[in-house]
Amino acid sequence: MSDIIFIGLSLSSILLLIALGLSITYGAMGVINMAHGELVMIGAYTAVLAGLHLGLNLFFALPLAFVTSGLVGLVIERLVIRRLYGRIIDTLLATWGVAILLQQLIRLEFGLSFFGIHIDGLGPGLQNMTVPAFLTQPIDVAGMTIQPYRTFIIVVTLMLAGLTWWLMYRTPMGVQVRAIMRNPQIAAACGIDVRRVSALTFAYGSGLAGIAGVLLAGFKTVMPEMGASVVVDGFLVVVVGGVGSLLGTILAAGILGQINGIVALASNDIIARAVVFAVVIALILWRPRGLFSFKSR
Amino acid sequence: MSSETSSTLPSSTSRLQRHADWAVYAVFIVMVLGAPLVIDDVFWLNRIAKYLVFGMLGIAIALSWGYAGILNLGQGLFFGLGAYMTAMSLKLMSATSLQQGSDKPVPDFMLWNAEPGAVTDLCCINKGSFLWIPFQSQWFGMAMSIVIPLIVAFVLSSSIFRLRVSGVYVAIITLALVLLVRLLLIDAQPITNGFNGLTDLGWLTIGGFEFDPYMVETYYVVAVSLTVVLLLGRWLVSTRAGLILQSTRDDPTRARYLGYDVAAYQIFFFTISAGIAGFAGLLYVVAAEFASPSFMDIGFSISMVVWAAVGGRNSLLGACIGAILINTVEATVSETEIFKEAWKLIIGGIFVLVVLYLPNGLAGIARDLLGRFERRRKGTPAETAPKAAE
Repeated sequence: MSDIIFIGLSLSSILLLIALGLSITYGAMGVINMAHGELVMIGAYTAVLAGLHLGLNLFFALPLAFVTSGLVGLVIERLVIRRLYGRIIDTLLATWGVAILLQQLIRLEFGLSFFGIHIDGLGPGLQNMTVPAFLTQPIDVAGMTIQPYRTFIIVVTLMLAGLTWWLMYRTPMGVQVRAIMRNPQIAAACGIDVRRVSALTFAYGSGLAGIAGVLLAGFKTVMPEMGASVVVDGFLVVVVGGVGSLLGTILAAGILGQINGIVALASNDIIARAVVFAVVIALILWRPRGLFSFKSR
Repeated sequence: MSSETSSTLPSSTSRLQRHADWAVYAVFIVMVLGAPLVIDDVFWLNRIAKYLVFGMLGIAIALSWGYAGILNLGQGLFFGLGAYMTAMSLKLMSATSLQQGSDKPVPDFMLWNAEPGAVTDLCCINKGSFLWIPFQSQWFGMAMSIVIPLIVAFVLSSSIFRLRVSGVYVAIITLALVLLVRLLLIDAQPITNGFNGLTDLGWLTIGGFEFDPYMVETYYVVAVSLTVVLLLGRWLVSTRAGLILQSTRDDPTRARYLGYDVAAYQIFFFTISAGIAGFAGLLYVVAAEFASPSFMDIGFSISMVVWAAVGGRNSLLGACIGAILINTVEATVSETEIFKEAWKLIIGGIFVLVVLYLPNGLAGIARDLLGRFERRRKGTPAETAPKAAE
């Protein structure tokens, strides 16, 4: 029984990892960022490149990926998203274009492959990140086998969720972000620099995507298309949890991950994913505002 | 729903614009139907036929997105369902299904995977194979290509719009649904051939005439279908029902208070759009000779939206031309691998720019230019251009 829960927990933590950044950019800012998966991908490539060229391991790659994806997010916000606030469907479409651009930039090695230059770790092929050995050896604790890497992911995810909560609810910056969530015009009238705060919020959400990328790279193959498959899962979690509710996102990730784990055990992985989609559709129909949306108007 | 026709388009379209509109339609239809006179390479003709099918998908998107304001990110579901239904029939007609040691047609992949000693008949070669029995009739398969998408879309849209789910949630539900069905399709390997899809299909046969995909006649089947769908769609949005639909898009609450059953109009047009997508799936299988789960990839469904956005989401013809144009250019530049990758880069960039600066796409540019020309001719003060839909 406990291993079933642990499998579900580990699936949940990955969902949460991806959804955490989205709960900021979509939940707080009303931007459907289809390029979120690509920010995850950039985080993963940062880890690969840092390992190949700088000899840095996972622990150094985490902050590096946070900064890289955050900066890319900042640029996306400046160039594209800033012009689209309030036009939620248009943000979805424009960022889909951005997603293709980012994928192609990695695949074409920033255009260098046109000139026959090749950088190790980029290009259309598959890449791998090496995980430090002490994180790959299973440990036996009281008769249970524990996968240290999965545990590590769960711990990091919970820490990030805690950090995000602290930033949003215990800092002056968080107060400003939440004020903008409720009403950007009034927030601006109260003297909040909406543009600056929005840009930083978006960059923070993107940075979280970068961290997710590094952790994913530990057990998934790194390739230019890897982001496309994760972004939808992330959205479903955020929508089910309730837009703008951090707690809702965490609980939704927990529930969907457990459903996925239990059904996968009873039948197979494909059916498990299908069941998760079915549950999500039913939940959105039943409560479009999400399970845990406490926001009242 | 009233079928009373009304020639009055929104008052912001002038007579000249209306005439120009019809002229563009006429030129487009002449070009589509006349293409075989200019292009004698059957290989290219077959390719263009496929792109005309994508043009039909553009029409379906414009109908639901542009006119109804419903962004369906799962249009691939209906396209895929339509494709599979016809493909099942054509699979049973192919030589490979008849030459497997049985006098009744059985798809080859079912035989490869059959349990030893299983009866080689559709009734019981595996648990689900009986579902294939009615598809021995080609007409049944083709009818199902349209009927099944209509039914699925009706049930889906009824639950969505009766519960007043709107905007981005519709997009997310449709997206989740297409992914769900794609997974089920892959998982039902014994009856759908899973990831591999249905290949090695027979040809559509009507009255003893076999429609070889690389034949001018097959091109005409697609071209005439597209023309009919285009004109029907055009007529549909100009009816009273079409006008009310546009009012529900612009302000659903006001339309509701004026006494219109908003959900009924949304359901009707969503379902029609799905039917068109299913029909497109049917034609695609006839021209391309395969059906695959990739029709239900998210990327494909979003690509359709991209085509429509570039061509002009508020214009049926614009969206149609957008789809044909993008695919034709793509095919031309994709001859070399490096250009293919660069093209994707360009299309990503184009898409960002279109959303940012040209929300009405190519059709929007055409309208603006025409409006400018008209004002100069008349010398009247600037008239406000038709407002873009969200």
